[in-house]
Amino acid sequence: MKKFLLLLGVALCVTLGANEASAQIKAGKGQVSIALESNNIYYVRDKKMVEIGLEKPTERTRGEFGSNDYLKVDYTQGRFSAGVQVDGYLPGLYGFDIYTKQIHQSKLTAFFSKYVQWEDENWGVRLGDIYDQFGNGLIFRSYEDRALAFNNSLAGARAFYNFNNMVNVKVLAGLPRLYDSRLKNPVWGADLSLSISDMAGWSDGLISIEGSYVGRYQKDAHIKFPVIEGEDLEVSPQGIPGDVLNMVSGRANFEYKGFSFRGEYVAKLNDDVYNPAFDSSKGNVINIDLGYSYKRFSVSATFRRQENMTVFSDIRQVGAIGTGNGNALNYIPLLTRQHTYSLANLNPYMGASTHTGGEIGGQIDVYYSLRNPKVRGKYWNFHANFSMFNTIDHYNKLYNTQAEGRNAWIDFNFDVERQWNKSLKTTFFYSFQRWDQALAKIDDPHSHYCRSHIFVADVTYKINKKHSLRFEAQYLTSEDYEGDWVAATVEYNFAPKFSFYVSDMWNCEKMRDGIYGNYYITNPDTQEGDHHLLHYYQVGASFTHDFLRVQLSYGRNRAGYVCSGGSCRYQPAYTGANLAFTLSF
Amino acid sequence: MKKLLVLMLGLMIGFSASAQSLPNVKVEAQDGSTFSTSELVDGTPMIISFWMTTCKPCIAELNTINDYLYEWLEEVDMKVVAVSVDDSRTLTRARGMAQGQGWDDFVCLYDKNQDFKRAMNVTSTPWVFVVDGEGNIVYSHSGYTPGSEQELFEKIKQL
Repeated sequence: MKKFLLLLGVALCVTLGANEASAQIKAGKGQVSIALESNNIYYVRDKKMVEIGLEKPTERTRGEFGSNDYLKVDYTQGRFSAGVQVDGYLPGLYGFDIYTKQIHQSKLTAFFSKYVQWEDENWGVRLGDIYDQFGNGLIFRSYEDRALAFNNSLAGARAFYNFNNMVNVKVLAGLPRLYDSRLKNPVWGADLSLSISDMAGWSDGLISIEGSYVGRYQKDAHIKFPVIEGEDLEVSPQGIPGDVLNMVSGRANFEYKGFSFRGEYVAKLNDDVYNPAFDSSKGNVINIDLGYSYKRFSVSATFRRQENMTVFSDIRQVGAIGTGNGNALNYIPLLTRQHTYSLANLNPYMGASTHTGGEIGGQIDVYYSLRNPKVRGKYWNFHANFSMFNTIDHYNKLYNTQAEGRNAWIDFNFDVERQWNKSLKTTFFYSFQRWDQALAKIDDPHSHYCRSHIFVADVTYKINKKHSLRFEAQYLTSEDYEGDWVAATVEYNFAPKFSFYVSDMWNCEKMRDGIYGNYYITNPDTQEGDHHLLHYYQVGASFTHDFLRVQLSYGRNRAGYVCSGGSCRYQPAYTGANLAFTLSF
Repeated sequence: MKKLLVLMLGLMIGFSASAQSLPNVKVEAQDGSTFSTSELVDGTPMIISFWMTTCKPCIAELNTINDYLYEWLEEVDMKVVAVSVDDSRTLTRARGMAQGQGWDDFVCLYDKNQDFKRAMNVTSTPWVFVVDGEGNIVYSHSGYTPGSEQELFEKIKQL
């Protein structure tokens, strides 16, 4: 609590000081920029949640305060730049992979990363931490995701050369980062892009072909899985998996008059097997993106089939740290729409490949804006989205079963936004979701489908130039999941600095003692029981001034999945006060 | 942590004002071609807004700016740059969305490797910058509350 109050005090001082301080720093001929992001939660023991078993008192024995912090300092002078970043988990916030990792090690963790870079118009070199990707990232992507608290940047070197926009070559090599440690498994790769349209002098559209290679070395990568009989199961039928993993990618891109095609095929040539249930020594993905747009109408669609293409930075630590999101060398995100309304996000699609090694499916988006181009401030925006994913046929080596591919997920979403005039805007949103609840049991041959319908109304009313009010009402109805849910939010904004909100969410199903919703208390004297609704309430405020933003909130949070960029982590339920601030100058 | 924050405070009070300039980073244009951010600097003041498909306030802010744009253009010469930080997963959707929301008058850029975002120290979206005709960053603001677009216009008018 002390730490939290201290932080709150500092945040207040900074807030007051912000009016006086000016935001830019010059150092010699160059300039320095600084960015700080701090996310702090003070956890409160919630008697109600403990009583009904939603919050396990043992889970937070390591202190009642968590803080994920990032400080980044960069220096730029012309084409030269250099920088450092410190990530502090003091300790990490509850529910993040880093928190799981810290349980087994020191409570406080800091990780330093740094870089120097020279970037000319047509060539560039970078030493230090590298963030990059080849194509769609299906064989390689190094990036940072603070919402999931991981960073798999490569510490090493990268160089690129561009010849008249016709030929682009990139090479890189380095050691990947795994949460707060640096692995000793070198990764290297090369990427080549040829612009056919530039070579042919065709300026009406774009045609390019691209290719990449990525390798990873891991000493003694070969894993033996202990099975029930006590014998080690050898799972490498595709020849001897060496210590070197090789992956290749081929791509073709085409754009012409509003039409676009991007296709990528990647293959994993040899890897060790990380799951005894299926053979993952070889894998592949085919990914096709299609787009068409005309004036204010657009359609975009993605098709993807993947088989055994999960690739780890460290294959010996698979499953060792939480979700393992940070132990990925490549990026194969979930393609379903990531929802912003809480009830639409109660049960997001988590992917089928974890259980079965593969997935096939796609999604389509249609956008249309109905408006008079000369009249601003009055329009209709329509958006429809559909996605469907199936598992692929697979053989389970552990249970010696062959399973046919089956539907894992379907969703259909529709939203319409109407700007009536400069003051009033309304949004109506509908989502239908259907998923196979039995999917996680890999040996279960029977599907068990759950369905839910979600309705949202969202109204923003601008009282005058500075004051505005937003109201959001959500309703979820489901006969075969957790029953019905209701959520509502009221937000009052005082532009440009202040915003306040209150929200609540609860389950209406009185007859069921759901693990997420309501509970039943028996009076020991009368032996009569009474149903109670469990409210997931939140109150919060935010303040913004130039380069500073402070958010403070308090509330009860439901257990569920927090998704960012197509990856999700499980957030256990908690009640607490959250103070987040960002500073950037 | 405490020391860090004290240091930050010291830094803020200790340094004098001068404008940061726009970094030069390669991103993609609406048609998929490579675009250097230095090409944005052409003497016209601009609003640069970082957005992504899953950020509702970002889209609300850009739609509002779009509503006011013609009114503002009657008073000042300016342009609006919408930078999507969507990665390869939602890049196609972001392109479709920009088109389908009627952002025809914006310069739409796609920063799928988030190099521009990192160089501008953008830690969350929405995040907007006001940049003068010479490429100096004169103002930045994160988060969106309906009405805060007026402040952007006030800053643009002062240039």
